[in-house]
Amino acid sequence: MGKEVNIKIDGRDLTVPAEWTVIKAAHENGIEIPHYCYHEDLSIAGNCRICMVGVKGAPRPVVACAQPLTEGMEVTTTGEAVEEARKGVMEFLLINHPLDCPECDQAGECKLQDYSYDFGRDHGRFHEEKVVKSKATFGPHVKYWGSRCIVCTRCVRFTNEVSGENELNVIYRGDRSEIALFPGQVLDNPLSMNVVDICPVGALVSSDFLFQSRVWHLHSKDSVCGECAVGCNTRIDLDAKEKIKRIVPRQNDAVNKSWMCDHGRLSFDYVYDKRLHKPKIDGKDAVYKEAVAHAADLLRLPGSLALVSAWSSQETLAAAKTASEALGLPLHAYAKPSSQDQVFPGFTIAGDKNPNRSGLKTALGLDPDESLASLASKDGALGTVLLVHGIPGSEASPQLKQVLARSENVILLDFGDGDLLRNGNVTVALPTLTIYEQSGTYANRDGIVQKAEAAMEPVTYGRPAAEILRDLNKAAMQGATSKIAVSQG
Amino acid sequence: MADTPAPTEPKPIVPFKPVILAHIHEDGSHTLDHYEARGGYAVAREHVGTTDPASLVKLVDDSGLRGRGGAGFPTGKKWSFLAKGTGKPAYLAINGDESEPGTFKDRHILERDPHQLIEGALITCWAIQSHQAFIYLRGEFILGYERLDKAVREAKAKGYVGANAFGKGFDITVTVIRGAGAYICGEETGMLSSIEGGRGYPKIKPPFPAISGLFKCPTIVNNVETIANVTHIVKNGAAWHRQWGTEKSPGYKIFCLSGQVNKPGVYEVPLGITMDSFINDYGGGLRDGKKMKAVIPGGLSAPVLTPDMVAKCTMDYESLAGLGSMLGSGGVTVLNEDVDLVDSIFNTMRFYHHESCGQCTPCREGTGWLEKLAHRIAHGHGRQGDLDLLGDVCKNMRGRTICVLADAAAMPMQSYLQHFRGEFEKKLHDPGLDEKARTFRDEFTATAKQATREHKAPSVLEVGLGMDRT
Repeated sequence: MGKEVNIKIDGRDLTVPAEWTVIKAAHENGIEIPHYCYHEDLSIAGNCRICMVGVKGAPRPVVACAQPLTEGMEVTTTGEAVEEARKGVMEFLLINHPLDCPECDQAGECKLQDYSYDFGRDHGRFHEEKVVKSKATFGPHVKYWGSRCIVCTRCVRFTNEVSGENELNVIYRGDRSEIALFPGQVLDNPLSMNVVDICPVGALVSSDFLFQSRVWHLHSKDSVCGECAVGCNTRIDLDAKEKIKRIVPRQNDAVNKSWMCDHGRLSFDYVYDKRLHKPKIDGKDAVYKEAVAHAADLLRLPGSLALVSAWSSQETLAAAKTASEALGLPLHAYAKPSSQDQVFPGFTIAGDKNPNRSGLKTALGLDPDESLASLASKDGALGTVLLVHGIPGSEASPQLKQVLARSENVILLDFGDGDLLRNGNVTVALPTLTIYEQSGTYANRDGIVQKAEAAMEPVTYGRPAAEILRDLNKAAMQGATSKIAVSQG
Repeated sequence: MADTPAPTEPKPIVPFKPVILAHIHEDGSHTLDHYEARGGYAVAREHVGTTDPASLVKLVDDSGLRGRGGAGFPTGKKWSFLAKGTGKPAYLAINGDESEPGTFKDRHILERDPHQLIEGALITCWAIQSHQAFIYLRGEFILGYERLDKAVREAKAKGYVGANAFGKGFDITVTVIRGAGAYICGEETGMLSSIEGGRGYPKIKPPFPAISGLFKCPTIVNNVETIANVTHIVKNGAAWHRQWGTEKSPGYKIFCLSGQVNKPGVYEVPLGITMDSFINDYGGGLRDGKKMKAVIPGGLSAPVLTPDMVAKCTMDYESLAGLGSMLGSGGVTVLNEDVDLVDSIFNTMRFYHHESCGQCTPCREGTGWLEKLAHRIAHGHGRQGDLDLLGDVCKNMRGRTICVLADAAAMPMQSYLQHFRGEFEKKLHDPGLDEKARTFRDEFTATAKQATREHKAPSVLEVGLGMDRT
């Protein structure tokens, strides 16, 4: 802990680290100071000039984002001089702005609208012709509306400091300034869509969300991304029909700061596409109870085992552990195959594409890769494999395929109707839910345990894997009730 | 602000002969041979590597030399602020991005006596213990660049510049850098950004360059004329420098005289002489016996003076500050009674709109707005309330930006409105202007369009076409 200073903001006595600036000290203590160019996780530019505050002894308002703290400093975030300054800046920001809110994606979550309402004037005084700037497609996911841009340079600083790919810069001067790609560059890095989030106005918009919905028609649920071991905190925006419209990061300094990767944002199609809608026995639709009973019967075969994926939540793992102990099934684990970490100056996308590998290690004491490898290295027929899958994309690894090929039956717990279901020797399939439809607890690569609440109602028939495992356990304990004979191979 | 400047105490009049400009009219004054023939590099040879650097800083501080770039900050004081013991190299950055309209003094030093600047740079580098000097030149200074570049090579060949300068074991590298034609790179931190290879965006102060400047290292930024002065002050002493000028503005300065005077040009004069004497004795008075309407005293951004104010004004920092203006870069522009001040301010606003870097909101948007308003009024489309709006826009721009370009644009407009409001009002109420304006515009747009074709955004002149409501 470094040096601390005592300051006063709006009459409140605060003790804050000396290296902070006024805006950080205010925001950390719940005092709002308007800002456009300032972003907690980026360097300070100090160019928008909206964050002006009064400092006792200073002849005129100063910008809070760049103002260093001194002992005994007294700051006011209101008052005539400050309000006058903000009003002036708001007016300047809007004179060349197209005011096309009705067709702008940002409307409803736009800082220009918010601050205009809070600090702006009630009528315009600009009767000249506006400057018109260019419109461009920056990359596969990002479009640019130049005329709306306030040149806060957040996006430029993001590509400098966080993604480190340096695709963007400001071109031209004065009120002709606009954001542009360097010649020959495309904004296609895996973090590109963060510039859409940090754009305080509607200048940078997501091609994927463009014209999809007005934001005031959306409601949000907090969640955690499952696409890799980082476990980015997310906000799921759903429309009135509970359909996911977009996924954006939520700030968590310990996990993902304010960022997340494009892949994580866009990976929600599997919630709607190719779902396993009904329990199946031998490929035919079945009643849940029947399927569970049949599965419980199958698990009595000698050489049966349980195999859980690192996509399973802690709850699922606990249920799997209980069930496997009660039914005397050896418990094994596996993970979605990993790749190399993608390291950027300010963010790392984990190569480990499983949300709960470290949780699995703690809960079961198993390393999923070793566990699967040791299982695959052995020969010999297996009985029934209880496969708790739950991985989007359902492309099984060769090792997993090899294990499944040796088994008599496979009982698949998964939400997808994919490759595994058709080619995995599956006798009983029980539909589960996606990470967005069920609550679950996951431990990320640093062992930080995070709870993801269910963000939406299930879009189709399915139950949480933990519930199915408990039902299986119960059914097995109560004895076989299935009317379907289990062949003893 | 004081109504009248405090009378400067009478000083014995010391005859003054140009110091910095003493040899610029001689043939070959820009060559090393010529410079050495008149005793060049003797001061640097004597002091670099031997004299205690702190004593040199003190000498310059005692001389009272003030920065010649425009702000007039005491040079010795600036040097003494340089952060020491940071473990980082210190840099000297010399600002030769002379772009203030009405100012053309540095180019004469660069083109006609570059060795004088290099010698000053060597002494300064030793005084502030820097091994690296950057000289940043305005991109349009082609001849200045060629001659300075050649001069640096000559000095290097002689062993004055480079490793082991003058054989005293102290390395001084001098690097000449050319700008790309942006006014904002004359702002000290804008220049530093440009040297670093970035856009010429000024940086937030604090930290000041003396603490964290070029490449985040302690940096002293001085104007070309300031550095050229250093050699003479070190050679002749602080008392010699203080013979001229006033208590707070000691010494002499190069002034650039332009406008409707008989002898426009570059004049090196002692500070503190009356502006009247400067315009009449040096400049030969106004051309064709016309009357004076206004004087822009210190480069285009300095608030304008009325003839009454000119009569009271002496050429020093405090007198001009007392009159609500500034000495600035020393670019004195005299406007006679025929000048249309509304057209003049429109042209001024056009300049600042074109040159605003676009970093801070008030300047980026305000300069354009001012130009459009001034354009409209100058072309007979002014409306009731426009003048108050102009004043309001200026007020909203001033003191609200990272650098002072917004102030530089707003100050002339405010002063014109304050002193010559009648001229604006006359245009607001002149019905005949429309016709005149249209003729003017038709002629003007044809040429201006050509000139602005490379810009993507519509120029104001093009915008003007859209305002034909008659």
